[in-house]
Amino acid sequence: MIKILAACGAGVNSSHQIKDAIETEFKNRGYNVKADAVMVKDITEDMVTHYDIFTPIAKTDLGFTLEIPVIDAGPILYRIPAMAQPVYDKIEAIIKEKGLK
Amino acid sequence: MSLLEKKELFVVKDTFVSDQKNKEDVFKEVFSKLSAEGLVKPEFLENLLLREKNFPTGIDLSVVDPDLPNVAIPHTEGKFVNVCQVIPIKCKNPITFYNMIEPQKKIEVSFLFMILNNDPEGQSNILAQIMDFLTTTSKNSLKAFFKADEDIVIFNFLNNNFS
Repeated sequence: MIKILAACGAGVNSSHQIKDAIETEFKNRGYNVKADAVMVKDITEDMVTHYDIFTPIAKTDLGFTLEIPVIDAGPILYRIPAMAQPVYDKIEAIIKEKGLK
Repeated sequence: MSLLEKKELFVVKDTFVSDQKNKEDVFKEVFSKLSAEGLVKPEFLENLLLREKNFPTGIDLSVVDPDLPNVAIPHTEGKFVNVCQVIPIKCKNPITFYNMIEPQKKIEVSFLFMILNNDPEGQSNILAQIMDFLTTTSKNSLKAFFKADEDIVIFNFLNNNFS
């Protein structure tokens, strides 16, 4: 399973929308993807080791160096396919490049 | 995904038209009423302001239509609110927010959809409903809606056009 970490300031709305959108899109693309939505302030170095890709709403300083790929997922929030597509394509490119399953 | 019923999402008495000139004063005005109604907890205002400072919620609608005004979706953690509801706030004066997906950029905002969500793990995705409203409602109707400055007109439009 490919694990993606979505995050926003409150962990309530934006990150949940990103999570739902990514899981739906990648199911349609034939991948087994599980995304979790959390508050940025709750992210720890240890937590991140359990994920393959980090998808914040915007560039985010976590206070430590991330060892996993980061894709800014904010455009997904608009729910406009033309804006979301490039984000999904970047995620898929990482999945293919790293051979994630 | 099951969506919240419209009737639960908007309440006419919790629809605002504000004369304030900055977001701090708008938030204080709205918090005062919501707190009195028991919709939010005492810590709501402080956490709303902090959240907006660290993780801004302005949404640039020029990418949807250059003629639409920008909006913001201020909100904070579910533990500071008691309901699932959207508080519509028409701002008569442009209010400066920072862009949610490009936080270094300032934008002028004239309408707020303040999200109260005490069930973040639930099946409703309020933000998705707001974005669908903004991107699928006819542009001419939206432009007229954003010019409205009567709470009942704003409430009725939202109630009739949220799917």
